[in-house]
Amino acid sequence: MNQVVEGLAPQRVEAVRRPRLDWPLRRVIGAAMVASLVLLALLGNLVIPGDPLEQHLYRALQGADAVGVSDAGEVITSAPLGYDHLGRSLYHRLVAALGLSLSIAAGAVILAAFSGISLGLLAAGRGGWAERLLSLVADSLLALPGLLLVLMVSVILPSTPLALWLGLSLVLWVEFFRLARATGRSVLASPGVEASRLLGFGAWYRFRHHLWPEMAPVMMTAMAFGMANALMAIAALGFVHVGIPEPTPELGTMMVELLPYWREAPFALLTPVLVTFLLLLGLLLMSGSKARTSTAADTLEGARP
Amino acid sequence: MNLPSRLLQLLMVVLMVGGASYLMMQSLPGDAAWRIAAGRYGYDALDAAAAASVRAELGLEAQGGLHFLYWLGDILRLELGTSLISGESVWVEIRHQLGNSLSLAGAALGISLLIGPPLGLLAGLRAGGWLDRSLLAVCSLLRATPQFLLALVLILLISVEMGLLPAAGHGEPQHFILPAMTLALGLAAVSARLVRDAMAAVTQTAFHDFARWKGLSNAQTFWRHGLRHVALPLVTYLGLQFVTLVEGVVVIESIFGWPGIGHALVHAIFSRDVPMVQGTALVLGVGFVLINLLVDLLGRQLDPRGVK
Amino acid sequence: MVKLLSRLRWQYRTFLHDRRQLAVASVALSLAVVQPSHAQDASAAQASAADTRRLEIVAPFDIKGADPLLSGILFQRMQIVETLVEVDATGELQPGLATDWEVSDDGLEWRFTLRSGVQFHDGSQLDAEVARQVLEIASAKPGLLKSVPVERIVAEDAQTLVIALSEPFAALPAYLADYRQQILAPAAFDETGTAQQVIGTGPYRMLRMTPPLSLEVTAFEDYWGPQPEVRQARYQAVSRAEGRALIAESGDADFTYGLDPASRQRLSQSPRVTLAAAATPRTMLLKVNANHPAFQDPAVRRALSLAIDRTAIAQVVLRYPRGASQLFPPMVEGWHDPALPELHQDVAKARALLDAAGWKVAEDGIRHKDGQRLAISLITFSDRPELPLVATVLERQFHAIGIQTRLDITNFSAIPAGHHDGSLDMALFARNLAMVPDPIGNVLSDYAGTPEAPGGDWGAMGWFDADFTAELERMAREGYGPTPAGQDPRAQASGVIQRALPVIPIAWYYQNLAISNRLQSAQVDPWERSFGLSELRWAQ
Repeated sequence: MNQVVEGLAPQRVEAVRRPRLDWPLRRVIGAAMVASLVLLALLGNLVIPGDPLEQHLYRALQGADAVGVSDAGEVITSAPLGYDHLGRSLYHRLVAALGLSLSIAAGAVILAAFSGISLGLLAAGRGGWAERLLSLVADSLLALPGLLLVLMVSVILPSTPLALWLGLSLVLWVEFFRLARATGRSVLASPGVEASRLLGFGAWYRFRHHLWPEMAPVMMTAMAFGMANALMAIAALGFVHVGIPEPTPELGTMMVELLPYWREAPFALLTPVLVTFLLLLGLLLMSGSKARTSTAADTLEGARP
Repeated sequence: MNLPSRLLQLLMVVLMVGGASYLMMQSLPGDAAWRIAAGRYGYDALDAAAAASVRAELGLEAQGGLHFLYWLGDILRLELGTSLISGESVWVEIRHQLGNSLSLAGAALGISLLIGPPLGLLAGLRAGGWLDRSLLAVCSLLRATPQFLLALVLILLISVEMGLLPAAGHGEPQHFILPAMTLALGLAAVSARLVRDAMAAVTQTAFHDFARWKGLSNAQTFWRHGLRHVALPLVTYLGLQFVTLVEGVVVIESIFGWPGIGHALVHAIFSRDVPMVQGTALVLGVGFVLINLLVDLLGRQLDPRGVK
Repeated sequence: MVKLLSRLRWQYRTFLHDRRQLAVASVALSLAVVQPSHAQDASAAQASAADTRRLEIVAPFDIKGADPLLSGILFQRMQIVETLVEVDATGELQPGLATDWEVSDDGLEWRFTLRSGVQFHDGSQLDAEVARQVLEIASAKPGLLKSVPVERIVAEDAQTLVIALSEPFAALPAYLADYRQQILAPAAFDETGTAQQVIGTGPYRMLRMTPPLSLEVTAFEDYWGPQPEVRQARYQAVSRAEGRALIAESGDADFTYGLDPASRQRLSQSPRVTLAAAATPRTMLLKVNANHPAFQDPAVRRALSLAIDRTAIAQVVLRYPRGASQLFPPMVEGWHDPALPELHQDVAKARALLDAAGWKVAEDGIRHKDGQRLAISLITFSDRPELPLVATVLERQFHAIGIQTRLDITNFSAIPAGHHDGSLDMALFARNLAMVPDPIGNVLSDYAGTPEAPGGDWGAMGWFDADFTAELERMAREGYGPTPAGQDPRAQASGVIQRALPVIPIAWYYQNLAISNRLQSAQVDPWERSFGLSELRWAQ
């Protein structure tokens, strides 16, 4: 065994190193899944045009229509995945729902990342009271369940998409803040950064060349994981009837609406379920094993908050 | 984290919850009296007279900055007020509900500890083996499934199709099983991976090899040397898990009709029962801080090496 | 390791052996104890007072408190409390805690003869003085009794209660059947008049109440009427309709009240449950603000009504055979007039009416007039799950005639609040037209009003018809005798609403319930006043 050769000195318990081959493959698969769903959201309506709101009540819960071409040469807009309980095309609703959920989640993650990283670096760079105050706020926010925070924000702000966006950002920024602070602390104290500063390079340069390369891999996985959490939260809120209002389609509300018809039309219910599931799975695969256990990884190294 | 900073965190949580609740109350469009009367009387019996009587009874007028200080003062004196809907003391109601939620959370935690760590241990012992890979697959699948979806699948399979357990309700021991299982599966997915990672790391260390060479069996090595390393991240994770548990509890209680804090919270949000929302948020936030304090102490016992 | 395994195996086998013995013993014991019951008639029902089978009831109603105003309707449905006047399935008033009543010639004095020998669950007796106290407390609280012109209530002697009115009010006995006038023992109230316990006179008494979600009752031994066959019952509140349906399907509830349309279909095919339904005097209707520049014109309101495909809504969303043809469903006798021209869908006519009213379609497909877009908000709530669904359908159907609708699914108090501050455009809800078995109360509060404050919170908005209001008030005073033209005044009133359309009826409601195989059969009370527990029979 190699370790025999390396010596018998006690080693620190490290996070496990998986065989290199698995890791990128999982990430690739995850990224492919997410990318294809994003493409569907962006281009779905172009490929098969249709209206997610249009109702044909008497076609409710029926199966798919073939996409055909009429005698006049027009593409017949129809429902490649069948109809929901109000006779609306499931395919078009899914496309719209994907777009909406993805944009809210992505928006929340971007706002959270931006504010989290800036505040985290500020805390790491300044230290002292700023850092202590910001850490205090972050830890206290962590103490409150995310769903509760989003619910409270949804009461304070009238518009639901806005409330979801801000509420989710509030919940997600803590993770980015902590990661940025942890990375920032070690990097900003390093001699390389000190040298850059002495040489007169500005803050943006230091960020781009010193900080970002260190932070980027962890940030990416944190963003993927944050997206997954945000999507789950939106769906869960839709499930308790606090989500995006009708008639706008959204994945969680679609699942709730189609649930009573699960025996009559199981495929109708399966469609949003599968799409949500694939999206979440893809994001989780992209984020790899390090993201959620990031705080656990901190623990393994003894760097508790 | 040490005691003074945890206390500071506690204070901050209280401030934030109080502030958010105050904001909520101020920002509610229209008259809170209408909403409160709605929560009390239902849509068949609600009318302007009912709202007027509520308005008179509760004397609802917003005041201003000083009002906020009074508001905070009430919280700090642990005067959480009375529920605007039922008129019961918020503290009394929360105690009931918290008890129910805690029993559910406790059951879920117990089940997850029975499932997750043992599987993780076995997987970690032979990292890369078939158990490890299949565990990875199953855990990823479980984590990608929203909790309410898992709940529904379990209800449909076990309760409706097989008729083994009740689909919802509260009171008998069998009502515990499905909701606790749903929560537990989510928890176990993460804790299994955590333990697996830690275990795999331990098996690669030198002291582990040394112990085996000394003549200790696998089991003995684990109990004497490995357990602490595995227990440490698990214990810390459990502390953080409280938050996830609570979030899960909100949705699970809605689905299974469990009369706990999550269910009460959603109802309070709907009917704009601000004292109730505030009380619940406070209890959850403070509980989190206290649990993490416990976890810190426990962690220090397990790992006396201290914070780096 | 091998030793450990063999030790485990030995322990396991011993364990199994012990368990087997225990199992056999307990089976033998239970066979000895449990006798098959052959209760066939009322006396046998009394003999099986040792029947410990507990009925499991599931319904959506949360338990908010002991006061009649909060959850009184649930206590009435569970038959824990009773009212002076009862109602049978056809809507006829029947004796309840009052055996008889009569009114003086001038209509100002009502005498109620109370039933003798009625005990409360705490052992105290019911007499006129107790009834007087309870009714006075009830009339001080918000509720229907407040709108009755009561001058004073007097307990003339132990069995006679006199209610003196300042004006005649023919529907008074019907008002006393409402759940808010339930008779509780004086010991139940605190000094502010709020009930702290539920001490009633019904065949079931409260064993345990755990708000918000459950309560348990047991049969009351000293009930004045026949003893029920079902001796114990437990009620659980499950607010999600799918949840209730799942519980019914898995057999965990014997009696499930309130099913959503999809679950009804599913359950009708299940061998484990039987469904029962009854038409109720509840109508889904669209409240329209007649002060809105567009809806001031009755032709525009008619256009709205003509745009709605009620049959599709009823069949696809609600799973009923047809929608509403007028405001009152057929089960409300007198008010439902089969001769009225039915409300129907005619999209072309709707468009023509809107064009004629000056609302022209612009490029975006929405109608304009004088620079104003016909864009409105529609308020509804999700407490009744079918309402947001129907609102979604309506949004599209109004879009088809050029009206832009924004859905606002919120707390239902937004509807009366919006009525009072004038901000409401349209609202969709399900109105119980006969909270009191006589609809006159509701019609008066919803469609009468004054010129300054026309209509009512859950009825017309901005619409006032002086003749109509005067006629309604006359009906309240004098009753429903034929008009000078020899017609039923109730049908006339219904016709006024049908032509003016201050509200647009959409569908009539049926109340549903599912019972398990443990029960023989069940009836749904169309007036939603009772679950009928005391009438239930166990299937043998």
